[in-house]
Amino acid sequence: MSDSQNPATVGTTAPEPSSGGRDAPTRGRTSRRVALAAVAAIVLLIPVMPIPSYNYALQLGTNALMWVAMASSWNILAGYTGYISLGHNVFFGIGGYSAGIALAYWGISPFISAPITGLIAMAVGLAIGLITWRAKGPAFIVATIAMLFVVGMLFDNWEFVGASAGMSLPLPPFPVDTAKVPFYYAMAVSAFGAVYLAYRIAHSRFGLGLRALSQDETKAEVAGLNTRLYKLIAMSLSAFFIAVTGAIWAYSLSYLRPTIFFNIGIATQMLVATIIGGRGTVAGPVVGALLVVAVNEFSLVQFGGTQLNIVVNGVILLAVLVFFPRGVVGSLREARKLPQFLNWD
Amino acid sequence: MTDFLQTVVLGTLLGGVYALMGSGLTLLFGVMRIVNLAHAIFMIVAAYIAFYAFELFHIDPLVSVLITMPAMFLLGLAVYLPLFPRIEATPRYVEMTVLVTFALTLIVEGVLGFLFTNLVRGAKPGYTTDALLAGGIYIPVGQLLALGMSVLLLVGLWLFLKYTRIGTAIRATMQNRTSAQIVGVNIRRISAISFGLGMALAGASGSLMSYLFVFYPGQHWRWVALLLALIVLGGLGSLKGAVIGAISLSIISSFVTRWLGPDWSSLTFYLALFIILMVRPQGLFGKTMRI
Repeated sequence: MSDSQNPATVGTTAPEPSSGGRDAPTRGRTSRRVALAAVAAIVLLIPVMPIPSYNYALQLGTNALMWVAMASSWNILAGYTGYISLGHNVFFGIGGYSAGIALAYWGISPFISAPITGLIAMAVGLAIGLITWRAKGPAFIVATIAMLFVVGMLFDNWEFVGASAGMSLPLPPFPVDTAKVPFYYAMAVSAFGAVYLAYRIAHSRFGLGLRALSQDETKAEVAGLNTRLYKLIAMSLSAFFIAVTGAIWAYSLSYLRPTIFFNIGIATQMLVATIIGGRGTVAGPVVGALLVVAVNEFSLVQFGGTQLNIVVNGVILLAVLVFFPRGVVGSLREARKLPQFLNWD
Repeated sequence: MTDFLQTVVLGTLLGGVYALMGSGLTLLFGVMRIVNLAHAIFMIVAAYIAFYAFELFHIDPLVSVLITMPAMFLLGLAVYLPLFPRIEATPRYVEMTVLVTFALTLIVEGVLGFLFTNLVRGAKPGYTTDALLAGGIYIPVGQLLALGMSVLLLVGLWLFLKYTRIGTAIRATMQNRTSAQIVGVNIRRISAISFGLGMALAGASGSLMSYLFVFYPGQHWRWVALLLALIVLGGLGSLKGAVIGAISLSIISSFVTRWLGPDWSSLTFYLALFIILMVRPQGLFGKTMRI
């Protein structure tokens, strides 16, 4: 990779030379650290706080953390490199199924097997990358949708895991009162892990390379970037925490079924969350995931379990695309109104 | 041998319909670089129109093409005009069209699901159960009529593109947008018309779908994946590629159905897609693309 490129000129989402501008950088950074530590503390303390409708709040929190993990991971490929994938819940399903198989047949807790399922998903990600790496733009998207259907079809017909009927898993051995707490913390670990991974990638030479290839793949290649390898690694890395999340989710659901895990709706949510929050930024998917979970919860309460919440998602996505194509975080940064504690790039 | 021929015939009959379904998609990409993920959900919208026209007013699904095509053309204009001119100038335009049509897909799918639920429907005009027997090969009448309609419309489309002024302008825009503009083609107008035309083709496809297949709103992803696979195979933006890709894949998938059962038939399309992406990413008849 050529070092002659100035980070500030590469990519629309590249970090600004001095973050903030008005504040002294160090002061900004300190206040950001404090704010983030406070957020992390609140997230971690919620299960031990006496909050009203405890179980509901915990469920909602688990859900939010799950989508933070998923959207942040999805963003590593789609946001940093610009390759939109609608097949990423292949990794979600692989995580869920591998952890489920390990639990049902060998009695291994998904909390232990989750990282291993992540590694399996990374390997699958490499394989998928090898098939699709020559496809660009629309062809890549089509390939990822096709990939999802093919993998879904395989699981639909795989008797070992109950084929299309799916299979039940042993129930988690947690006391009823606090049954949701372990899942909450597990999702929190996954979410923090995914955001940290996205952050580290964004601030590495590798991340710079990804942004370069998202701008112009040919030029990046001419500049000496191994774009093929970069794309493969990005695909693979983005798979890890999605699989981990899938493993945790399968455990909390205690059953496996192809229509649940290989449902394109899951990929849809990752896309909607990331685009609304701000593609290619570190904080964007987090903000987007929280917004999407909030909006979904709201429309669920308003309209019940009808399909209207899909409409709400679609309308918001459309509005963001037409009016704020950079998403919440990206648009705020452009207007120089991004709060310091959300400036993670 | 009859078995072999029978499989080929069934594949060809459906292939013609797939070609019609894919033609609108490839036209939009060819003229405007729009990848319309909403194509299949709009097909299903038209299928509902045809279904209710049949159920309520006893209008034959084949005749309902006269309703669905203009209706979808107008719907196409209503969707195109407020949205797409706005995003024309965005960088990474192709990707943007994917996202915008994706959002449209969610909206339409949700509305359809809300109105009609995910109940499986299908119009049942009398001829769906009829079949002709020719030399030991049986030909389902419904599919034969659908093929006839598809051929009619595709030939009509070809004549329109070849011999009318607007058609010539559309082809010019497909070949080179800037040059077309220089020689006086009103790109805006041509784009809007092409979008409407693509949607009208989705409308006709929906009419055929309403009695050839059962349908429900949530099913559109399978359709759009299949159709996109087929037009990527043929080369995005190539009408000839769409037709050849559709018919050849449909015949292969009909053999797969014969040997492995209908569950696996769509696998043909996806595997063909993966193979073509690895060997010749621009598709059979596509030009190398710059995104």
